[in-house]
Amino acid sequence: MMETEYGPGRTIPHPVMFRVLDSEADDLTVPEIKVEHKSEYAYYPGCVDYYDVEMQFSHMNYGDTNHGIIFDSSVKLLRAVGIQPMILDRSFMKCCGHDQLWQGKVDVFERMREYNTKIIKMLGVKTFITSCAEGYRTFKLDYKLDGVRVVHITQFLYERGLRIPPQPDTAKKIRVAFQDPCRSGRQMPIDPVYEEPRELVKRVDNAELVELKTFRADAQCCGVAQMMYCNDKTKGLTAKRMDEATDVDADYLLVACPKCLTHFGCLHHENKWKPGEERYGFKVMDITQFLAERLPGDWPTGSNIDQKRKEPPLPGRRG
Amino acid sequence: MEIEHVKGKIMEGMPGFPRQYGPVRSDHQPGVPFFPQESARDFVLIFLLVAIMFFLSAVVTPFLGPARSPQISELIVPDWYLLFSWGLLKVADIFPQFTIGAGTPLKTEFSAAFWGDLLSGIPVIFLLILPFIDRGREARPAKSPVRSAFGIAFLIAWIFTASLYSIREVVAQRWQTPNGSPLIDDIAMKWFFVIPPVLVGLTSYIGLRRLGYQPMRKWLVPYVGGLTAIVAVQSAAILFMPGWLGPQVRPYIVQLVIFLAILLIPMAVASFAVFRLPESRARKWIVRVGVAGAIAFAIAYVALEYTGAANRLAMSWVLSVLEPSMNTLLLMPIFAVVTGYLGVRRPYSTYEYLLNECYQCGKCHTVCPVTKVEDDALGGLNLVYNTFKKQHDGVPLWTCLACDACSAVCPLDIQYSDYILEERSKVHARMAADGGSRE
Repeated sequence: MMETEYGPGRTIPHPVMFRVLDSEADDLTVPEIKVEHKSEYAYYPGCVDYYDVEMQFSHMNYGDTNHGIIFDSSVKLLRAVGIQPMILDRSFMKCCGHDQLWQGKVDVFERMREYNTKIIKMLGVKTFITSCAEGYRTFKLDYKLDGVRVVHITQFLYERGLRIPPQPDTAKKIRVAFQDPCRSGRQMPIDPVYEEPRELVKRVDNAELVELKTFRADAQCCGVAQMMYCNDKTKGLTAKRMDEATDVDADYLLVACPKCLTHFGCLHHENKWKPGEERYGFKVMDITQFLAERLPGDWPTGSNIDQKRKEPPLPGRRG
Repeated sequence: MEIEHVKGKIMEGMPGFPRQYGPVRSDHQPGVPFFPQESARDFVLIFLLVAIMFFLSAVVTPFLGPARSPQISELIVPDWYLLFSWGLLKVADIFPQFTIGAGTPLKTEFSAAFWGDLLSGIPVIFLLILPFIDRGREARPAKSPVRSAFGIAFLIAWIFTASLYSIREVVAQRWQTPNGSPLIDDIAMKWFFVIPPVLVGLTSYIGLRRLGYQPMRKWLVPYVGGLTAIVAVQSAAILFMPGWLGPQVRPYIVQLVIFLAILLIPMAVASFAVFRLPESRARKWIVRVGVAGAIAFAIAYVALEYTGAANRLAMSWVLSVLEPSMNTLLLMPIFAVVTGYLGVRRPYSTYEYLLNECYQCGKCHTVCPVTKVEDDALGGLNLVYNTFKKQHDGVPLWTCLACDACSAVCPLDIQYSDYILEERSKVHARMAADGGSRE
C-alpha cells in the first residue's frame, strides 16, 4: 500500500514492460519484411512473449504458466484446419495498444495503431486471426481495419470445422470450465465469442463442459484489467473466480485471454508455495493449449523452434 | 457479498411478494386488482362528476347570449385557444375545390369547409396514431432528433401561424402602409404557414443532432449559406430590379439599405464562420455578430420611429418593403444566426449525456466485481454512480476494471467503460499539458 496521486491504497505500477512498450511505440519506421510464404491469413500472437518474461522477472511464477505455448498451440491448430498463416510476431509488429489505451495513454495507442495498421495493409492481410481476447476487441473495435476480417482463433477454428480425434480409452473423464473474457464477450457489440470455445471443448470426447457460477455475459472478471495494478483486492477477485471453478469441481479452467492466464496462473502458483496446502486442484491453461494437446501430430516448427521436436516447448521460452 | 447475508434480506415468498415471475405466474399477485376494486372506485367518481354536471345544467343554466354573426360584428373570432382551428378553416381555400359523384347518392363535396375540417383533424389523427408509429423507447429529444424536429415544426405551424392567420383582418387593419394598403398581404400570411415551420424544424434537427455529438458542419454550410444567398439575392432584386420599389419608397433608399445591411451582414459572417473557422472560434463570432445585429436593428428602429414625424414616415416606407417579404428578409437572418450557433455549440459532455439516462436502479452496483472486495465500496460507495457524479477523488476511476459487467446489466445500455476510457485519457492529457512527464 502506498500513497499515490490517484488516491490512497492503490498501487498502479507501470512495470518495466510498459516502459519498454511505450518507448517502442515512438519508432514508427516500417522495416523491410521478407515474407516466406504469403497468405491472406495472418496470425497475431499478441504480447505473450512479454508476459513470460514479465512473470519471471517479477517472480510471480517460475514456469508453471506458459504463455509462449499459446503461440505454438495456435499455429498447430491452424495447420490442423489447413491454414498456413503469416505470423505477425513481435519482431516487427508492435503491441496492439490495448493496455495503453485503457491506461489512458491515448497518444501511445494511436502511434501503435498507426504503425500496426500500416504493416497489416502492407502485407495484404484479409483475415486477421488473434488468440487474445483483448487483441480481438482492440483490432476489431478500436482499429479501423477496413477490408480486414478480425476473428478470434476459436471462432476461426469453429467455422473451419476443427476436428479433435477420439481420445484413447485410457484417458479419464475430465471436467472443463471456461472463463469468458470480458473483452471478447460482453464488450463486443458485434460477434461476441461465447459459443465457439464451448463448442470446441465439446468436441473433445472425454471432456465434460461445466459452467461456472457466472458465465457468458455475466461472467465475472478475472480480477485485473489492463495490467494496471496487482494488490490484495485484485487477488481477492481472482481468488473468487477460481473458487467458483473449485465449486464446480473442474479439472481444467480454460481461458481465452492471455491476461486471464497470467492472473489465474499467478494465484495458482502462489497457492502452491505451501506444500500440502494446494488450494486449487485444477489446471489453468489457454483453450488453444488444451485443444492442441489433444491433437495428434508434431508441434509447430517455426523459425526459432526445433524442427524435430515432438514435445511441446518448455515454458518461459522467449518467443 | 456473502450469500447468507443477502438471503436474510430477501423478501421473496413473504406475504405480498411473489415467488414466481413471468407471464405464467400462478401464485398470488401483489397489489390491488383492477377489477372489481379499482374499477368500482373509478365508476363512483365518474358517476359523481356526471351527477354534478347534470345538476348544474338543470339548476344553474348559463346565459349563452346570441350567436355572433356578420350582422352583429364584422370580425368573428372564437376563444383564443380555438384560434388555430379558425385559422385553418380560413386558409382552406387554397386547396382545390371539386365535387365527385355529383347526381349520385355518393356525392362528396371537397369544399373549403371540408379541407378546413380535415386540417383541424390532422393533429388529432396524428396523436391517435402516434403510439403506433413511434415504437422507440427514447424519450429525450437529443436521442430522437427527427421526431422532435417534426413535433416542434408542426406545433409552430398548427398553433402559432394558424392562430395568426385567423386574425388576418386585424393584422391588415392594424399595420398599414402610409397610403392605406395592408402592410402584410394575404400571400405573405399564407407563406407564413410554410416557411417558419420548415426553418424551425431544420434548426431543431441541427441543434439536437449537435447535442448528441454529431458534427453538423455538413448540414450547416448549405443551410446557413443557402439562407444567406436567398436574402442576398432578394435584397439585390429589391434595390436594383426596376419596378420593385414603388416611387414612394425611392426617397428613403438610404434607410432601406441600412436595414438590409443590418439583416444581411450577421448572416454573411455566420456562414463564413461555419464554413471556414474552427468550431470554438466560429461559436464566439456567431454569438458576437448575432448580438451586434440585434442591437443594431433595435437602435436603427428606435432612431427612426421615435425621432419626429418625417423619420417615422421613412420607417413606415422601409417597413412596407420589408414586411411583405417577412418570411425571407426578417425570418431568415434570425434563423441563420441561431442555427449557426446551435450547430457549433458544445455538445453534451459524455457523463452528462449518459448520466441523464441513469435512474439509479443500482444493478451496476450489484454486479460490480470491485464492490465485492473493496472496503470503500462495501461501505456504500457506488463505483459507477459516484464516478458519474464526479463525487470521487479519482479512486473509482482507477479502481474500475473496465470489465463492463455494469453495462451488460444496465437497463438503459449506458456504456460505462467508454466513459472510463475518456476520463482516463483526459487525466493523462492533463498530466502531459502540465509539464508532467508522459509515460
